[in-house]
Amino acid sequence: MKKFIIIACLLIAVSGMAQQVERGTVLIKNGTVLTITQGVKENTDVLIKDGKISQIGKNLAAPAGAKVIDATGYHVMPGIIDAHSHLALDAVNEATTPVSAMVWEGDDLDPLDVGMYRAVAGGVTISHAMHGSANAIGGQCQTIKHRYGTVDPKVLMMEGAPRTIKFALGENPTRVHGNNGAGIVPNTRMGVEFVIRQAFSEGKEYMESWNKYNASKNQKGFRGAPPRYDLRMETIAAILRGEIIIHCHSYRADEIYMLLKVCKDFGIKRLVFQHVNEGFKVAPELAAQGAMASVFADWWAYKFEVYYSTAYNAAILTRNGVVTSINSDDAELTRHLYHEAAKTQKYGGLTDEEALSLITINPAKQLGIENRVGSLEPGKDGDVVIFKGHPLSVYAIPMYTVIDGVVKFDREKDADDQRLYVDPKQTIDITDAVFEETLSHDHDECMKNAEFLLNVKFADKNR
Amino acid sequence: MKKLFSSVLLRKMLSAMVFCWPAMLFAQDELAPVSRTYAITNVNIVQAPGRKIDMGTVVMKDGLIVSVGKNVSIPADAIVIKADSMYVYAGFIDGLSRVGLNKPKDEERGQRPKDPGNPKPEEAGITPQNDVRVSLNPSEKSIEELRALGFTAAHVVPYGGMMPGNGSIILLGGKSADEMVLVNKSSFYSELSPARGVYPGTVMGVMAKYRELYRQAALSRAYENSYASNRAGIQRPATDRVIEALFPVVDKRQPVLFKAERVIDAQRVLTLQSDLGFSLMLAELKEGWDIVNKIKSTNAKVFLSLDLPEDKDKKDDKKKDDSKKEEGKKDEAKKEEPKKEEPKREEAPKTATAEEKAALEKRKAEFMAKYVGQAATFQKAGVKFGFSTLSAKSGNIQGNLRRMIEAGLPEDAALASLTTTPAEMLGLSDRLGSVDNGKIANLVISDKPYFNEKAKVRYVFVEGTMYKFEVKDSKESKDGKKGEGSKDSGVKAEGEWNISTETPNGIEQSKLTLKKEGNTISGTMSGGSINPAVGIDNAKLDGNSLTFNFTFNYGGSDITVEVAVKIEGDTFKGTSTVAEYGSFPTEGKRLPK
Repeated sequence: MKKFIIIACLLIAVSGMAQQVERGTVLIKNGTVLTITQGVKENTDVLIKDGKISQIGKNLAAPAGAKVIDATGYHVMPGIIDAHSHLALDAVNEATTPVSAMVWEGDDLDPLDVGMYRAVAGGVTISHAMHGSANAIGGQCQTIKHRYGTVDPKVLMMEGAPRTIKFALGENPTRVHGNNGAGIVPNTRMGVEFVIRQAFSEGKEYMESWNKYNASKNQKGFRGAPPRYDLRMETIAAILRGEIIIHCHSYRADEIYMLLKVCKDFGIKRLVFQHVNEGFKVAPELAAQGAMASVFADWWAYKFEVYYSTAYNAAILTRNGVVTSINSDDAELTRHLYHEAAKTQKYGGLTDEEALSLITINPAKQLGIENRVGSLEPGKDGDVVIFKGHPLSVYAIPMYTVIDGVVKFDREKDADDQRLYVDPKQTIDITDAVFEETLSHDHDECMKNAEFLLNVKFADKNR
Repeated sequence: MKKLFSSVLLRKMLSAMVFCWPAMLFAQDELAPVSRTYAITNVNIVQAPGRKIDMGTVVMKDGLIVSVGKNVSIPADAIVIKADSMYVYAGFIDGLSRVGLNKPKDEERGQRPKDPGNPKPEEAGITPQNDVRVSLNPSEKSIEELRALGFTAAHVVPYGGMMPGNGSIILLGGKSADEMVLVNKSSFYSELSPARGVYPGTVMGVMAKYRELYRQAALSRAYENSYASNRAGIQRPATDRVIEALFPVVDKRQPVLFKAERVIDAQRVLTLQSDLGFSLMLAELKEGWDIVNKIKSTNAKVFLSLDLPEDKDKKDDKKKDDSKKEEGKKDEAKKEEPKKEEPKREEAPKTATAEEKAALEKRKAEFMAKYVGQAATFQKAGVKFGFSTLSAKSGNIQGNLRRMIEAGLPEDAALASLTTTPAEMLGLSDRLGSVDNGKIANLVISDKPYFNEKAKVRYVFVEGTMYKFEVKDSKESKDGKKGEGSKDSGVKAEGEWNISTETPNGIEQSKLTLKKEGNTISGTMSGGSINPAVGIDNAKLDGNSLTFNFTFNYGGSDITVEVAVKIEGDTFKGTSTVAEYGSFPTEGKRLPK
């Protein structure tokens, strides 16, 4: 009977996992293939079979039923990965508490967000749907594949991607929690360190109390009460066990160094810094500890702690051996991350491969999915973008984007209205729609759902 | 002996009374009826979808149906209702609503809470221990409104946040909250609604909190059981009203009734259900067409919303058609004019903007069809469903049912979703849902088949208590009223009025201008949020009661306000109602000329 139950449970688990992810078969013929990890291959075919790259070579035959794309004169590269995004999310900040580790962006994915299609049109196949930066320890994030067209949020989640969580240092968490007269820690940068250390210490105690309970639970005659279940502490414990990668919003070198020390003290190894505008000052220290960095190409001065910056940041970090990526943190910027990557050639003279790695294999490493995506190699996921022109050229135009072997963007078949759901009561005012769009381009969403907690009027840039 | 004698005498007297006053019918607040026995004769009985008796009789006694059929003898004490060629159905059951509940006043937004991360459960919208009976008010107007449509039972839930409390199944009649309740604590009501300014302040917060509370309850429950088996020597379980309220859910004795309007809400709820394993009733679903199979595979019980997006274009077309017809009657010569206009419209220049607009309108229409066709989609997929009215305006419900039927929902299926299916889903099949002997006497009688456009509900019985609805024949009432009604009442509506409405956002000041031509009242509303000015529709003056509605654009969406006021000289008082938001007090003062 017990066996039967286990089998039944397994079956349920398997059927639960097998959300209807569409996987296709495509043969991309005769392109210039930028593999990222294995050099550039001219006049080469890429065959994607049932969602996975099965072969890269010359004169490959198309299997029956395969879609064939003639990429003659085009560049073929792995799908672009954005390690910092707030696309396809309903809520960004659970800003009510300085430690919101219990919440998870996987719970409020919005598969209807048309922004995903726009990202796909810019070659972005995977993004890291992040919690915002209102809290010292924010919510858990979710790596998503832009399988636009489904209404099922579970289909968006990249199966097997490691868990990640958002941390935040500096102005945002102190402004939201301490700095508005409520007297909540953190009010200062040292307060932020305290909040993180305290949470880790409590998480450790929590983990130990459960370990103790679980060990004695099965002993004969044991009748004690279980410790109180606490979802926030469950998450912190998982961080301490190395099951969750920390992605920390940060700018200043002193703070970056602070978190490096805190993580070292608690034995936490998987750490990625986000924004990291002063990362160039502590690049060797980051490299020594294996911490990674996800940066903007050239964006700063939107608040006081982000003035000391340089467009050479990505190049300096890269040359110091830090795994570095370039991210968007923005629904518009994500559409031309290849331009952002190209800026590192002007500022720092990175090679083509280094520059392209910033938006492919490196963000894949930061999300713990480098064995699945980020380069064109047999066995990896069939996530490919095909450019007219070299992707690092200012004239680059994405022509096709393929996810799991399914063509999700085809420039020839790019219909005007790509919304999945339409409000039948909506009033149509074309002029207004355009106007709003232009206005909103200058906003990021890092502090979404936290605005109400700020005394300071919400400024344009709150990164 | 004496007892027998008196009861026989009483019966004789009663039948005599019935004989003398055949038209003696009582509404709720009037004298109690002389008998609780009723016979509805000569009526088309739709016992249940697909089971019909032509021209039969239904007899009710003491709140129960006692006989149904063709050759039924009518008890001597029965009040006979000659429902010649009318139609009788089982009373309808509403799967989720707040009918009969006093709406709590919107709490003023005070100071930011001291520690928003650790609010009291009540501040966080977590009150699962609440009992809906506390705020149930038998004389609440909404009960009457829903009952007038044929609803006789409803699954009502408390107001609140993510866990508002226990739902109860009530009968839409009765003198006290307790008397109305048919099944108490029939469900554990939940919403994905975040708290205001405290944790959980987002949907993901609600999901996390829901998981945490459920798992805490499961652990507490297990420990409580082990404690109960031998209390000596181990710590007593902590008491916690929130956690304890979850025990029946954890034990799968009480289903979770979850509100989920949008496609994404429904899937979040299904995620919680598959993570935690409670038994689920999804209610007020509006966008379920793409997830029919997903819902089917979970075996969740479903209540589809009776609210549909209003088809404004269609309404406007109808009005135009009507006005055209009238014009046509008045002046035959003018009949040609509208015909000439039509081709003009089609030949409008095809600019890029116009084309884009047309494409967008087409998509809107495509989605309108999906909303209206949701019920038919479920029916075709073989998923049984009931209906819920939580966000539906009662005035739209009958029309919305007809729109669903026009979109492909068979009438029998619509009837099943109002009667047998919800009865089954709520575990009430032995008491409600069909016109059969032994069931609670909940009936609705309409003069034409219920889904006919011209059908009017004439009688509703709730547990054997009769509610009669007078049908105004439109022509007669017009003629009749001319003499005594608006003309002679001396009430003057026309002119300019300053109008102020207390909304949750503060007092809204606007200006109402009314004109009267013949018996038609027209006018405009302007000022405040209403910019530019808009015309008013459906204006009616009946005695001193003025009603009208208007639609204005606020922040990109159209808001329709229904105004009902009573005029006293140069002032009026009443309410402005916005569907889903509620009614707000409205006052007016006439501007001096």
